[in-house]
Amino acid sequence: MSSAIEVTSAVKRFGEILALDNLSFRIELGEIFGLIGPNGAGKTTALRIASTLLLPTSGTVKVFGLDVVNDSAQVRKVITYLPEEAGVYRNLSGWEYLKFMAKFNTENKHEIDRMVEEAAEISGLGERLKDKAKTYSKGMKRRLLVARALMSKPRLAILDEPTSGLDVLHSYHVREIIKRHVKEERVTVLLSSHNMLEVEHLCDRVALLDKGKIVAKGKPQELKERFESENLEEVFAKVVGLV
Amino acid sequence: MFKGFVNILMKELKELLRDPKIFLGMIIIPVIMFPLLGAVMNFSVQSALEKVENATIIVLNNDEGNYSKFFINFLNLSLRIIVITNTTPEEVLNSLSKYNTTQFVEIPYGFSKNMTQHIQTPNQDITAFINFYAVFSGSSMFEQIGSSAIDGLVEQFNRNFAPNIVCTEKSAIIKEKIQKGVDPSMLSGLMISQSIAMPITIMILLQVSMQIAATSVAMEKEEKTLETLLSLPMDRFAILMGKLSGSILVAAVGALAYMIGFNYYLGSFTTTIPSEVDLVSLGLAPSLIGYLLLGISLFVALLSALALAVIMSAFAEDVRSAQSMIGFIYPLIFIPSLLLMFLDVNSIPFILRIIIYAIPFSHPVIAAKAVTMGDYLTAFWGIIYVTAFTLVIMYIASRLFATEKILTTKLKFKWLKIRRRTSVEEL
Repeated sequence: MSSAIEVTSAVKRFGEILALDNLSFRIELGEIFGLIGPNGAGKTTALRIASTLLLPTSGTVKVFGLDVVNDSAQVRKVITYLPEEAGVYRNLSGWEYLKFMAKFNTENKHEIDRMVEEAAEISGLGERLKDKAKTYSKGMKRRLLVARALMSKPRLAILDEPTSGLDVLHSYHVREIIKRHVKEERVTVLLSSHNMLEVEHLCDRVALLDKGKIVAKGKPQELKERFESENLEEVFAKVVGLV
Repeated sequence: MFKGFVNILMKELKELLRDPKIFLGMIIIPVIMFPLLGAVMNFSVQSALEKVENATIIVLNNDEGNYSKFFINFLNLSLRIIVITNTTPEEVLNSLSKYNTTQFVEIPYGFSKNMTQHIQTPNQDITAFINFYAVFSGSSMFEQIGSSAIDGLVEQFNRNFAPNIVCTEKSAIIKEKIQKGVDPSMLSGLMISQSIAMPITIMILLQVSMQIAATSVAMEKEEKTLETLLSLPMDRFAILMGKLSGSILVAAVGALAYMIGFNYYLGSFTTTIPSEVDLVSLGLAPSLIGYLLLGISLFVALLSALALAVIMSAFAEDVRSAQSMIGFIYPLIFIPSLLLMFLDVNSIPFILRIIIYAIPFSHPVIAAKAVTMGDYLTAFWGIIYVTAFTLVIMYIASRLFATEKILTTKLKFKWLKIRRRTSVEEL
């Protein structure tokens, strides 16, 4: 077993809508892999399948060699998933939320405390963790959620638009958290984003997705050279024939 | 100031009327529900009136004087009567089922003599009594209508002679025994509590519990916490059970509070009943086993309502939609409760009775009446049926939580069928 994720000919249909069209890619251990593309490209569907929330219509998706359909319970033990529009429980404080989530990973009290302390540090929310989540700004909630996703030291973190809706400062903070954590803990990351600059900054490799298909794949620098572009945005435009 | 008002108004009307949830909940449901309720009420009143009109009353004449014959002739003008002479009221009890009646009047010995004395020497101390006996079963609000009819006829009779010349002494026949001096109207408080207060309380309890459960699931969707929860390393059945258990605990506290409250409520009506009358042994208040069966019946009905609410709300996108969806279950709670408020379940047409028995939320109301009258078997079978219904619903709910349907299935009102709907943004 040498790869963290192996997607082979994955197809997902929602009635008449073809969300994923014969998708195949592989992510190596310790890699940050980005799926980028416009709205409706199939990024979230791919991430939800890898998180065991959705089932592929056909094809296989394996996480550390475990099949997401047949071994879903085992898969959920080694991953964390951060949905794009994830929320927090309004009437729980930040501390209570982190503790509630930590208890799903372990029953060991010391381990729970360690996770919560680590998440508190990752989030950088300090004393505000004592306040109820309904008093948090969007940026604070997202930092709390990213911290929740990383505190259990998952082998694979699946992050859907981790900086979605955040301002420059909060986006920068969240990106730094992910980058530092991956380096320190050797976590493999599969993320999606609209933000091509963010992907360029964070990812070791990317796959450009359009209408459920991968239209280009490689290291950001390689793609820019191959398509003679200054950035990934330009690469994408050229690949889908916009320019 | 009113520039654009019509434009805004038209937009609002279009938006509101095109929202299928509002259209169904605010317009279609009341259009169906109120005529249905009207029909139920009309049926209840009509059948009660027919009962009175067709009622046969036995008159036990132990006097056989002129005035007693005169009184019998007077009754005969308005009621269908059967006259029996020279026997005891206890003996008449055996004839009640023979003549298909639940009430009889006794004209005791000395009736004509007292009438004569009262007329000849106007002495208000001398009064002619009749005794009225009525079977009390506590099965519906209209049970005492026969007693009222006798009161009215006696009053009319007195107008021909003197005020209060004839007085009525009423006794209740409870479980085929005459309870002397226990006026059936004194027991009407009990009957009202059984016929009205109980169904209303059960309705409220079921409705509130369903709202709690539906909100709990819909909140996870609205606040976007469900996806995170489903991706955690835990059995999804545990999520369902956790949600149900939370609602069940709240509902169980509600059921307990209801039982305590009901007991006190019952107590407030029974203060007017002589202390020597043991209500439990007479079958006018539930025994300990009765209370236990009633509690279990209420609990399983609550459980089925909660499981149903969880399933319905799983199809909703937010709390508002969930509340609208469970609104469609409310008629299943209200209609049987209202029907049973006015009628005895055994007196309604067969098909309607089957429908009432098929609705799980009818059973606590049926059980409440049954256990009060000592009919534990009806309550027991109701519990068995509702438990089986609940297990089926919980199995469906667990299947729903175990698959991606919990995220992808949404109820589309447009075609009134369930289908998967995925917006482009979700892909």
